[in-house]
Amino acid sequence: MKHVIKKSLIASMASALVLGGSAVMAAGMDVPMIKVTPVLEGLDKPWDMNVRADGTMFFTEKCKGLSMRSPDGKVTNIYGMKGSSGYSSSGADLFCEGQAGMMGVAADRNFDQNRRLYVASTSNKYHGSGCKSNFERCDGNIVMRLTLSEDLKSVADRTDIVTDIQYKPFESNQPFGGPGAHNGGRLRVGPGGYLWIAGGDRHRGICPQDPKLLCGKVLRVDTDGNAHPDNNPPAGFDKRIYTYGHRNVQGIDFRPSDGKAFTAEHGPWHSDEITALVNGGNAGWDPQEMTAGRGACPDKYCGYEPDQMDGKDPAVRASYMPMSDTRFADLMHPTWNNNGWSQGTSSAAFLKGKNWGIYEGRLATGVLGIGFGGTPIGQRIDMVGITPDGLGINGITRMPLGFSKRFRGLVLAPDSSLYVAVDEGEIYRVTATSMQ
Amino acid sequence: MFKVIGPLSIALSIVASNPTVAGDAAAGDKRYHESCHACHGPAGKGVSSYPKISGNPIEYTREKLMAYRSGQKIGPNSGLMIMMAKPLTDEEIENLSAYLKDAKYQK
Repeated sequence: MKHVIKKSLIASMASALVLGGSAVMAAGMDVPMIKVTPVLEGLDKPWDMNVRADGTMFFTEKCKGLSMRSPDGKVTNIYGMKGSSGYSSSGADLFCEGQAGMMGVAADRNFDQNRRLYVASTSNKYHGSGCKSNFERCDGNIVMRLTLSEDLKSVADRTDIVTDIQYKPFESNQPFGGPGAHNGGRLRVGPGGYLWIAGGDRHRGICPQDPKLLCGKVLRVDTDGNAHPDNNPPAGFDKRIYTYGHRNVQGIDFRPSDGKAFTAEHGPWHSDEITALVNGGNAGWDPQEMTAGRGACPDKYCGYEPDQMDGKDPAVRASYMPMSDTRFADLMHPTWNNNGWSQGTSSAAFLKGKNWGIYEGRLATGVLGIGFGGTPIGQRIDMVGITPDGLGINGITRMPLGFSKRFRGLVLAPDSSLYVAVDEGEIYRVTATSMQ
Repeated sequence: MFKVIGPLSIALSIVASNPTVAGDAAAGDKRYHESCHACHGPAGKGVSSYPKISGNPIEYTREKLMAYRSGQKIGPNSGLMIMMAKPLTDEEIENLSAYLKDAKYQK
């Protein structure tokens, strides 16, 4: 703890020094004072949070379940997974494996009245006759609508509103090839109170471009799980699909100025991406074998080719297996591609509020850090300035935190502070103070 | 020339296979931060889908790293581990094994 506090002080001092310089050299430039405070530590793979106006924080741990931190700091374990202990109740169908488990959490826009949370998790409840191999449908990811008790400490009702998002049940011959791979899992409530569900391709080549499978898609649904009436996917597609052609989306948020949705997505040994979503658009990921000039690939998935187990120039990889393939007429061109590197972009949240000074409106983007094949590890949170048309950037600044960790979950609180979950087991609160 | 290289080779092979030759934990700590920390987290505690690798006997870690270095597949992340272990020297494997045996994540 002392270690963390010391670092936060250093971060604040560094920010102050920058401020001091800027005050002299660029009058009027409001570089905010940024400070980091630990909120919780000793957690097991914290993944996502939702913060209420009074400071109550709901959070998920990937292999344990959903919990709540009260404003007084007390933690209550609300809804556990199979094998969890100490929870008010548990879902025996909920499990974790590899990258999959209990992931995104979002609150209904009328939460203060209906106490409804939406939680994404891996579940074996809807496998049916599927899941016997990696090459068939395996409905193993769900979105639950949980109604909490009045004291917010237990679940009064669980309704599964989406039950057919695919899951990878077995190991395959790929890097990160274990079951549960590329599981997406971020949830956010967007404009109009609709629920957005970010998915991954679960290492199945056909997923992203398939019209019916929900893997490799971003869904926009109502709070019962029905398609938004204005969703506009291509003919023959599942109407719940807002965008398709995704690889592994773990970040999604909505630009405060116009409500436009942006995603942050892991790249395949190259090209992490931020993308401005277009209703019905194609993110351009298509890892099928025997496609676009590629031949057969290990386990019918070309996503890490060529030479998937060896280091290779990311640009060479990008030319062979593009993250955003320009052969698609409906391609959504990426806003940013991390200079062609893949370092593992995860969650993203727009910085709202005057307290963020010159960074107000930027997209805070967490990077986990993956340093293979000569790529710098790059653990950080970037504050990315995005052009009005959403198709480019006009600046990136690394958030001065004073430490580097695997930044997994980012969410903005109602008080305009940024909550940050790291894989190492902590949740931090990052505050910015305007100097004007 | 052969008279020099021969004994050296024998000596190196003894170092690589003899568990009584202690690795340098401090050097292992440094090497860990160069190549392993980003995935396995601080002090080998295990993060995300990457397993905990601290607290194991030196022999266990040495055996696994040598297996990966030779290209042997052990588990679903073998592709990554083989790639990461390829450049490790015998000395580095000894140092990493020594470091990870007692490494503890402290906040």
